[in-house]
Amino acid sequence: MRETLIAVITLVVAPLIGGLLFGIDRKITARMQRRVGPPILQPFYDILKLIGKDRIVTNKAQLIWAYGYLFFVMASLIMLFLGQDLLMLVFVLAFGGISFILGGFSTKSPYSHIGANREIMQMVSYEPVLILMAVGVYLVNGSFIIKDIFTKTPLLVNLWPIFIAVLVILTIKMRKSPFDISTSHHAHQEIVKGITTEYSGPYLALIELTHWYELILVLGLISLFWATPLWIGILIALGSFILELFVDNISARMYYAWMVKFTWGIGLTLCVINIVWLLLVKQGVI
Amino acid sequence: MSSIDWLMAVAILLPLVAGMLCFVVRDYTVRGIIVVLTAVALIVTSVKFFLMGPTEYEITAIGGLNVGELISILDFVVLFIFLYAGISLKRIETIILALAQILPLGYFEFVKGIKFETSPAFYIDQLSIVMVMVISIIGSIICIYAIRYMKDHEHHKHVEKSRQSRFLFWLVMFLGAMNGLVLANNLFWLLFFWEVTTLCCFQLIAHDLTQEAINNACQAMWMNLLGALGLMIAIVYLTYNIGPDGISLKYIIAGGLGKGVVALLPLALMAFTGMTKSAQLPFQGWLLGAMVAPTPVSALLHSSTMVKAGVYLVVRLAPAFRDTMVSDLVAIVGAFTFLGASVLALSQTNGKRVLAYSTIANLGLIVAAAGINTPLAMTAAILLIIYHAVSKGLLFLCAGTIEHGIWSRDIEDMEGLAAKMPLTTTIAAIGIMSMLLPPFGVLMSKWAALEAASQVPIAGFLFVIASAVTAVFWVKWLGRMLQVPPTGEAYHVESMSAIYSLPLIALAGGAVVLSIMVGTVLNKLVLPAVAAFYANVPAAFVAKGFNFAAQGFAGPAAAAGGSEGIGTVGLFAPWPLFVVLGIALVLTWLLVGVKKEDVRPAYMCGENVDDCSDTSYFSVADQKTEIKLGGYYFMNSLGEAVLNKWVNTIAVILLVIMLGVVYL
Repeated sequence: MRETLIAVITLVVAPLIGGLLFGIDRKITARMQRRVGPPILQPFYDILKLIGKDRIVTNKAQLIWAYGYLFFVMASLIMLFLGQDLLMLVFVLAFGGISFILGGFSTKSPYSHIGANREIMQMVSYEPVLILMAVGVYLVNGSFIIKDIFTKTPLLVNLWPIFIAVLVILTIKMRKSPFDISTSHHAHQEIVKGITTEYSGPYLALIELTHWYELILVLGLISLFWATPLWIGILIALGSFILELFVDNISARMYYAWMVKFTWGIGLTLCVINIVWLLLVKQGVI
Repeated sequence: MSSIDWLMAVAILLPLVAGMLCFVVRDYTVRGIIVVLTAVALIVTSVKFFLMGPTEYEITAIGGLNVGELISILDFVVLFIFLYAGISLKRIETIILALAQILPLGYFEFVKGIKFETSPAFYIDQLSIVMVMVISIIGSIICIYAIRYMKDHEHHKHVEKSRQSRFLFWLVMFLGAMNGLVLANNLFWLLFFWEVTTLCCFQLIAHDLTQEAINNACQAMWMNLLGALGLMIAIVYLTYNIGPDGISLKYIIAGGLGKGVVALLPLALMAFTGMTKSAQLPFQGWLLGAMVAPTPVSALLHSSTMVKAGVYLVVRLAPAFRDTMVSDLVAIVGAFTFLGASVLALSQTNGKRVLAYSTIANLGLIVAAAGINTPLAMTAAILLIIYHAVSKGLLFLCAGTIEHGIWSRDIEDMEGLAAKMPLTTTIAAIGIMSMLLPPFGVLMSKWAALEAASQVPIAGFLFVIASAVTAVFWVKWLGRMLQVPPTGEAYHVESMSAIYSLPLIALAGGAVVLSIMVGTVLNKLVLPAVAAFYANVPAAFVAKGFNFAAQGFAGPAAAAGGSEGIGTVGLFAPWPLFVVLGIALVLTWLLVGVKKEDVRPAYMCGENVDDCSDTSYFSVADQKTEIKLGGYYFMNSLGEAVLNKWVNTIAVILLVIMLGVVYL
């Protein structure tokens, strides 16, 4: 019963915070670009407007995958808030990501197709880092269960290299420069609208909503790095969020191969150094 | 005859008899009935094996004939067939490898008078039973599918004189040899069945008798003979150093050999043998080459037989080399294969080759899990044997059906298949998803393997990378198949002969149902097998640990206290995810409608030729241009031509180290 309650609250509150954060994002980004920017509640106005539009699609499969994306990201978010298995959470999130990609592939559209191909590369870039994060958490805590994180010393102490790698993942997941490869918020560097080109009206609203959930999920994962007391973790997550906005505005979109090289080269190296170090400590070498 | 006599006879001898009948009978319908009846008998028998539980079975004579002598004679017969094949096809490597077995075996048996005998003849534990079920159930379904497939195959190839009888002979007999292999206790008998599977495999790959088929069949033959040579050396070595007990699997598993060089050298050799048969790098060539054979052969080789014999041997022997360097090296070789094969699969455009590399990768994972050698890892290995067999059998049958629908194996040609063959595509999509995504069984096993991998960190790291890479080629393929042009019309479901569709639906249903019932599979099939391997497994682990029941997957964390190196595992219940899957994909499909007037063509910068019915656009000078899309294949950076030499070199080095560490 208590778990059901948590799940329901998660599903209701998460998009409210997510939407608000994207509103703040747009305001701050606008200020950095010397514009006034929209009101903070603009993302909500946008979604309401989208929902009121015609339900235009290019085929049925496309919208099924949009629902798949939404529901599996929701499922992984619930897993996070119920404190379940971190590794399985990453896999469930991957199902969401794959649904999104298949939505892009499902229509014979050149722009959505390019976006989908690139989204696969984004997934290859972030997936191993997230799994290695789970492995790191296991090595520190002796458990893959998220609940167990709350009873131990903050993870950041031992896992700061992995934390840096996860920050890079946040950029990819928020679809911010330099990793806004599959679809971008910056119109000037976009090939039409990438993977979401063929989505419009209520179904685009669905995708936007999922992005809000996803943002909360990734920020939630980041806040796990300082879970006791949790407010420090939340502050760290919000700090990371603001940092992303700066990164977004000072960099241009990069080529997908560069992204894979960067995340595998630097991100994975950080994770590996971290894990090797933890193992050496465990063996009593250091 | 008692009931166990019957069970053994049906499992091992019935396929041989039925195969011979198929060979003699030239009538399509009668032959079909024989295959179906054999399949039913095998399935019933395998279930009876399960109900009977672990046991031992001794047999010395059938109708006055000494079985031990019969098997050593038949072993020579099979070896001479290899020798003959080598000579008539002028394959020097086959001749050498066949002689390398014939001469020493002849010397020891006839000159020295050594008999490779041990007791009991058959040792049937839970792992054997799981294997018998996989072989008999999935293998039988594939044989049924082959009846019609081969008819269409010959029709398409305009074969004048039908060779279907011959094909079914080898195919059905294969199942008997496999059953014998997994039930045998005497390593020498195991070697005999091993050689028979190699022979069946050789004949089936060469079936079409094209030059390519013969070349690839020869490649499969010599690689598997090389593996068998390793097993033979191990058998002779063990007989000399330990005596008759040395070639008893029961004795070996119980740790009777100890941990010295005397034990580790033959164990490492046998692990090597298993790796050749399960096509671990650098022996991937024969399994890829086997793709030239008709699809039921690939389905059989990849899912329930042949390659599974290889991983069976490694998993079987794992308890004996536990806590040694050999074990770690086995884990690393397997993990490297998992990664190498996954990366090589990225550049493949041929669907069957993608499936082949994926098989090799998954076998690598099984081998690696056996090498990690903890109860949790072993659980992952056995789970993966089961689930991979179902999913891969399904995918190959789908590939065969697709091939007979569009006469191509190229993934790019499968674009828009969802509109042309909706039923097949749906089943293929279920197959791919069951290989890749939670909450299906294959991913559950991968997850368990990953959670166990912290014991051998290098293997764990390779797992992580590889599992990210596997997603790429699967999703790419799925994306091509599920891409459809914008039309508002409902699809016309293709008509399919029942003998095609029933095996497909049975396996697809099996993949889903077995994944939902993962808790039952775990508790009834897998955990008893693991418990038999690790006598000192904490009781909590066996009784309730790793429990996928409704309450969630309660890890053995607290109870076990990591004493067995199990450590903590996760907490997870798969059924809620099936609910999510049902809501997300099935329920929305049923409930969300699309009105025909809401369907629009894809965006092409406003230059569409027509509304919806056409996917071309007005290009330069108002030329109508059909839009062409494709996936990323990375041929130049990750193609076989670039990677093979590196991958194979590293694999050879790892194997040499694996065989070398026994002297440390």
